[in-house]
Parts: sequence; structure tokens; C-alpha cells
Amino acid sequence: MRDEKIYSIEALKKTSELLKKNPEFNAIWNYRRDIIASLASELEIPFWDKELVFVMMLLKDYPKVYWIWNHRLWVLKHYPTSSPKVWQTELAVVNKLLEQDARNYHGWHYRRIVVGNIESITNKSLDKEEFEYTTIKINNNISNYSAWHQRVQIISRMFQKGEVGNQKEYIRTEISYIINAMFTDAEDQSVWFYIKWFIKNDIVCKTLDEQEYLKMLKDLRENILLINNDEIEFSGKQNIWCLKILLVLEDILEEKEALTERSSEQYLVQLIDADPLRKNRYLHLLEQHK
Amino acid sequence: MSGSLTLLKEKHIRYIESLDTKKHNFEYWLTEHLRLNGIYWGLTALCVLDSPETFVKEEVISFVLSCWDDKYGAFAPFPRHDAHLLTTLSAVQILATYDALDVLGKDRKVRLISFIRGNQLEDGSFQGDRFGEVDTRFVYTALSALSILGELTSEVVDPAVDFVLKCYNFDGGFGLCPNAESHAAQAFTCLGALAIANKLDMLSDDQLEEIGWWLCERQLPEGGLNGRPSKLPDVCYSWWVLSSLAIIGRLDWINYEKLTEFILKCQDEKKGGISDRPENEVDVFHTVFGVAGLSLMGYDNLVPIDPIYCMPKSVTSKFKKYPYK
Repeated sequence: MRDEKIYSIEALKKTSELLKKNPEFNAIWNYRRDIIASLASELEIPFWDKELVFVMMLLKDYPKVYWIWNHRLWVLKHYPTSSPKVWQTELAVVNKLLEQDARNYHGWHYRRIVVGNIESITNKSLDKEEFEYTTIKINNNISNYSAWHQRVQIISRMFQKGEVGNQKEYIRTEISYIINAMFTDAEDQSVWFYIKWFIKNDIVCKTLDEQEYLKMLKDLRENILLINNDEIEFSGKQNIWCLKILLVLEDILEEKEALTERSSEQYLVQLIDADPLRKNRYLHLLEQHK
Repeated sequence: MSGSLTLLKEKHIRYIESLDTKKHNFEYWLTEHLRLNGIYWGLTALCVLDSPETFVKEEVISFVLSCWDDKYGAFAPFPRHDAHLLTTLSAVQILATYDALDVLGKDRKVRLISFIRGNQLEDGSFQGDRFGEVDTRFVYTALSALSILGELTSEVVDPAVDFVLKCYNFDGGFGLCPNAESHAAQAFTCLGALAIANKLDMLSDDQLEEIGWWLCERQLPEGGLNGRPSKLPDVCYSWWVLSSLAIIGRLDWINYEKLTEFILKCQDEKKGGISDRPENEVDVFHTVFGVAGLSLMGYDNLVPIDPIYCMPKSVTSKFKKYPYK
């Protein structure tokens, strides 16, 4: 049918049958889009809504198939009206998906696209709402790295766009949130990658004055040392992520000429022992520290 | 599991050989959309295992040519499917591995190059085909294919490099597009694209340290590598992570012994092939990335593989290096 360039509702139904059996068959998705595009002038809104329902049905069974997500975005792009309602429905859809699979890579990607579209149609920033969303996701599961990632994106944007009222206050609140997270689960790397970003990025460095910044770093160091000591007492072992981030902190403090006593070499030697998988990285850093 | 683990080379060769013999069943139809990629994976695994002659060269080449999509001027995964950048790269890789790019002929080659270039968008990114999906996978695919054909130009390369650099993240990883979460497979596509463009020097020393750090944190206590924090290990990351580390000269930042053991545990001792995790069903995708990872670690005299192209070094050493003299 495709070779004969038949673009009819009948042909469309055939593609539905085939896609239900095999949603990875990209050429059939392509044929389906060509059919829809050629019939577009006759198609009313209910048709497009039905198409979204069809895609949803497949996504439920195959949430990781690129072609289905791809088709959904194509349908939305060609949807006859650009009311925010359609995209708000999508936001509800993606909320649901991320409830079932909180790390779904496509889901988070899709969420950014949906939010971007709502923002551009309504001309209103959703940064505050999205920031809150990452908080909820992280509070549900502190190891949700996708949410931590998203938090970095949003904070950067909010500061860039001047959406934060009291910036210093905002940073202080965030640092206590981080310290809290650190104490909640000091084993998981998600929060540590976030901390590494937080203490080195321009937003924090420029919002706080030198004294405040150094104080923040030193407070953080005290807390990390505390966690590490607790762990040594409890299990007799060092917490490897504490050591890794202490290294980063010392590097910054040293650069600011605010380091009184240097323990980096000692941390690296301890890491070689405590985190042997990455031994060669620590040997490399030891070489650099000489 | 037997006591001392070894790579079951002969079994893997027989497993790959057996894949294309069940042509008339439903499962075969279900995987048509991956057929050309599958042949590239199979052939590359066979090359690493030093047994390329297991596939009949003439048959493979004629199948590749039968996947030519004359409407759009590039390669589809299967005859009468549609052209896409992903399958186009597989076709070019297979032909180059056989030193048979000539079979394209002048007309097809010209159309192929214009298909690839035609999918580049204004911001330097690439869409996989005319329907607009953007992903750093496609930047890699496009640059790699053009590089194999010796047809890179600064008009294509420079904006593509700009786009890739925008996908670099705060944590030292790369995402599928700007602002997207870091993923080890995207680290490979982004670093591979930069390496092909000869633009790795656009990354600062600090960035290289961060990238190496994020990548080596993918190794889990059981030895396998994951693609993102807090995810399960999977054999395919033996390729995505290791090749990335190799490209930035930090291959030994993970533990070879533990990773080797993990990959070997994923072998099917009866029918051959490698799976994503121990005890799971094997497939050709995980088989090639398992043996390719072992080759990067210099295991058991496997044929050396190029971390940038995922093809035998003996083949890629003949590619023209960009920028062309």
C-alpha cells in the first residue's frame, strides 16, 4: 500500500495493527505520519486526540522505545491548535510515567520539552514549580539522580533570569537542604555529584562574598568530617564519598589561600585502599599533588 | 558457573553464525528494523574474535546494497524499510570493514553524502531522518560516516562540534541534547564525535579530569559498569564507558580484572553469546560490546579495536585524518 502511495484512513488502520504487534518498526511509523500529513486538512481535533490515545496505549507497554516518543512529539507538533491545554495534559502524562519509573531517561527528556512548550505558549516561567517538583522527587528517593540533574538546570536558569528574590537566602536554604540529604544517605553518589557542582559553580561563588563563601565551605567540611567519623566509629571504614569531596574542598580552599592544614595526600592514600576499583585515578591525583 | 572463567571464542563465533538462519519466523520480522545494525555488530564481533570469514563477504555486501533506499538516498535497516542515519552508518561501517566502499559507485556515494549533510540542523545538531528527532547519537553517526567516506568539511564539522560541547554537563558527563541528563552512551557519541573532528582540545584539562571521574564512577562493586548513577550494570557499558575513557587517555581508571570477570560471567556457556547481565538471554548487541570491551583491555590477544569508530584498528588506520591536508 505504501509503494502505491495510498494515504487513506483504511491504510492508517492497517498501520495501527502492525504497530501494536511491533512498535519498533520505524518504517511503519513513517508511513503513518505520511498518511496523517496527507489527510491533515480533513482531520478534526478528535482525530488528533485519538492518535494521542493510541500512542499512549503503546507507551504503557513499551516506555523505552524511542520511536513511540518520537511519534508522540510529532503528533503534538502538528496538533491543529496550540492551546496550553494539550501540553498540560502531557505534563500529567509524564508525571504519571515518572511516578512509575522515576529515572526514565525519555520521561525526563520529554518533561523538559513539555514544560518548554507550556512556557512558550503561556509566556510564563514554570521554574519555581519545576524546582518544587525536583524537591518532591528527591524527597521520595534521595538517589534520584535525574531529579538532582534537573535541579542544577533549574537553579542555573532561575539565577540567570533573575527569578530569585533573596539570592543569598536561597543559597543558604539550599546548603542546609544538601547537608540534610548528605546525612540521610551518605553512601549514594547522587547527592555528592550535586554538592561538587554546588560548591564550584559561579552562581554560588558570585552571590556570596568571599567571607561567606569560605565559611560555607568550612561548615560543609566540618559536616563531612563528622559523617566520616561517624562511619569510622560505626563500621571501622572511611566513607569514600566523604574523602572524594573533601579533596575537592581542599583544592578550592587552597586556591583561595584559606587552607591551614592539608590532608589531600592522606585522603588519596586512604582512597586507594578504600576504593580500589578507582585506584589508578587516585595514583594519578597523587602524582598531580606532588 | 565453572571455576576459572575464559572467553568462549569458538562458541561466540558459532552463535553469531547461527543468527541469520531463521528467516521465516515472527521473531525475524520483529527484528527487521535492526537487521543492518545487527550485521555490523556481528561482523565487528567476528573481527575482534579474528574470524571475519564466518560471514560470506559477497552475501553480506549484496544484502547491504539491497537495503539501499532509493527514495531518500541512504540505507534502511532492511529492504523496503526507510533510510535513517543509524543504519546508514552501519552500512558504511560494514562496507569499509570489507574494504568495499567502491561498490557504492559514484552516484550512490554523492546521494549518501547529501542525505547525511541534509539532516544537519541550524544549531549544528543532526536529526536521524526527516521527522526531526535530535540526539547526539546522530551527530556521532553523521560525523563517523562522513569520516569513513573521507568527506568531512568544516561547514559540517564546526557547528556539530559547537552543538556537542553544549551537551557537556556539570558532572563531567554528556546528555542527548543540551540540558539532558548525562548518560554513558552519550559520552561515547560526544567524545567520539570530537575525536573524529580532531577537536578534543576544545575540552580543558579540568573538563577531562571531570569526565574521567564521572566515567570511572560507573564501575560497581560487582565489576560491571552502569550508564548512569544508581543504575544496574550492563555489559554494553563495557563499550560506552571504556571507549570514552580510552579516547581521553584514561582507560586504566577502572579495574580491568573485575570488569573482565563480569563480562565473562555474562557468557552463555552452552550456546555462546553474551548477555547484559549474568543469567540473562544473550544477543548480538551485548556480544559485540562485551568482546570489544575485552579487546580495549588487551584481553587474550583479541584483535585491537579502535575506541573512536568501534571497528578493527587495521581498518580505521586507513581512514583519512581530519582536517584533510
